[in-house]
Amino acid sequence: MKMNTWSKAGTEAKLLLIGIPVLIWTMLPIYHLALFAFSSKDEAMGGRLWPDHPTLHNFEVVFREQHHYLNHFWLQLWNSLFIAVAAGLLTLVVATCAAFAISRLKVRGGRTVMNLALFTYFIPAAFLAVPMYKTMGVYGLLNNQWSLILAMTTIAAPYSIWVLKQASDKLPWELDEAAKMDGASPLQLFRLVYLPLMTPSLVAIGTYALLLAWNEYLYAFLLLSNDRDVTLGVALGNFLAADDSPWELLMTTGLIYALPPAAIYYTFKRYMVGGLTAGAVKS
Amino acid sequence: MATVSFQNIEKSFGHTKVIQGISFDIREGEFMVLVGPSGCGKSTLLRMLAGLEEITAGTIAIDDKVVNDVESKDRDIAMVFQSYALYPHMTVGENMAFSLKLRKADPKMMAERVAKASRILNLDPYLLRFPRELSGGQRQRVAMGRAIVRDPKVFLFDEPLSNLDAKLRVAMRAEIKELHQRLKTTTVYVTHDQVEAMTMADRIVVMNDGRIEQIGAPLDLYDHPDNLFVAQFIGSPAMNVVGGKLKRVNGSAYVEAAGGVRWPIGHGPGSDGQAVSFGIRPEHLTLTAAGGEAVPAEIVVVEPTGAETELLIKAGDDQIVLVTHGRLAVNPGDRIGLTVDPAHVHLFDQGTGARLAA
Repeated sequence: MKMNTWSKAGTEAKLLLIGIPVLIWTMLPIYHLALFAFSSKDEAMGGRLWPDHPTLHNFEVVFREQHHYLNHFWLQLWNSLFIAVAAGLLTLVVATCAAFAISRLKVRGGRTVMNLALFTYFIPAAFLAVPMYKTMGVYGLLNNQWSLILAMTTIAAPYSIWVLKQASDKLPWELDEAAKMDGASPLQLFRLVYLPLMTPSLVAIGTYALLLAWNEYLYAFLLLSNDRDVTLGVALGNFLAADDSPWELLMTTGLIYALPPAAIYYTFKRYMVGGLTAGAVKS
Repeated sequence: MATVSFQNIEKSFGHTKVIQGISFDIREGEFMVLVGPSGCGKSTLLRMLAGLEEITAGTIAIDDKVVNDVESKDRDIAMVFQSYALYPHMTVGENMAFSLKLRKADPKMMAERVAKASRILNLDPYLLRFPRELSGGQRQRVAMGRAIVRDPKVFLFDEPLSNLDAKLRVAMRAEIKELHQRLKTTTVYVTHDQVEAMTMADRIVVMNDGRIEQIGAPLDLYDHPDNLFVAQFIGSPAMNVVGGKLKRVNGSAYVEAAGGVRWPIGHGPGSDGQAVSFGIRPEHLTLTAAGGEAVPAEIVVVEPTGAETELLIKAGDDQIVLVTHGRLAVNPGDRIGLTVDPAHVHLFDQGTGARLAA
């Protein structure tokens, strides 16, 4: 008994020994972000661990768009939000329909689609940036936010299809048969049985696609150029165009930009855990 | 209420033929049980009737209307699955009402039907619960409720009790039978458990290897099995079967088994010298003192169950089971005699397994 407790404590100590450095390593940039955001311009580079006179002045400047880099702060934040939500929803629609068709309706060629989806991951997204630019040009979508939404959906969809297909394969097959016997058409099966049971996976995948689009820089930079169209992420990059970048404002905006993803993670955390199918069939 | 008719039904998965031309009819209001070992094709047959499996060849008709190309939902049948297959995100009430909802039934009628079904199945207190909050037996009842609400022409049950523990299984068995007596809906019930088949069925279809071995009322199958397979499949403990040579000497006949033991068969069928299987049910053997006409044997194991005593006996080279009511003062190693009532002897051809006709 005692031996057991000791060995348990030993294991925990070892995990902590790895965990604490990793935690510090991860938190360090965020600490810097916060440090700059709450410091005045002069204090920010002072090399202190925490400013002597913490201030919210930077936030005031950002929220009131009082710097020429921040002239369209609220609009750009809205752009980021709109593009991320649209890409998230569009990815969900595409991936859910594909997963349902392949996994539950067993459409012909489903395996090929799955293999192709996997294959797309052999090509880094950065390689596709220029072809994507050309394509959007052909469709006349350059400088249109839909170009970015469509591009992000294209990048997020294969992985999403793959994950949702795996998740729906785990749903008991008898439920489909029971619904079929109860008189459900494939669409009714999709709406009334499949979607409710897939909710945890759908939330997880929706969040994934949303955050992928929210955090995207390269494609956003490439496909959108008008100051009023770009996302906040691209706007942040523009801060570095000058030699005397206003670091404290960059960091403040960065901190604000990082809050929605954190909030989304926190809100949907419980959905990421399954357990909704409990009680469906005897396993 | 409806009749169901299978005509020359075949089913292949790829090159494997799992059902090899089956024909039989189910009468109106009949409780028909399909029984057989796993892999015999009974579930496939049921699923073809349900419309969940394509029919390779032959026709299935419900009420004389061929349904081969009719969708499941239009066949007016309801199925209870082995795994219950309840919708986990719906309450018990919603589960039962689902099929009516899909048919856009009148809400008042829907509520009435659900109320009636839940009353029959004692599910009233659980209507607002979710399946995960129910016990196995209750889930099974919800699955039945979902079928009853539809008021279908035919009920299909696919091994509905095999996920329940032994005690609950016996209770649910009685419940399903009572339900059938009450609703009188034509029912097709698949099980691998011959006790379930015997206790519930009006008639039983015994299947093996995609073929029908025999169709008949439970006690007919028990008393007059057509072949060795049915003889050994129906009844628990199983029928004793001893291989040997039929001998006819001076008007009396017996089967001489491998160890030289002679089993009397009275005026039984078969010709002298024929290789046969001698079958006798455990309750048709009687224990007597050793010697005389009795078959000499030795007790190996004594298993008292209270109401009955089961004896494992060695006669010649064969292990024999004997069941008797009441309790016996015998011990392993005792040398005893067995008497056989020739009226209860079953003889089968050893090659074909077919019953020898008198």
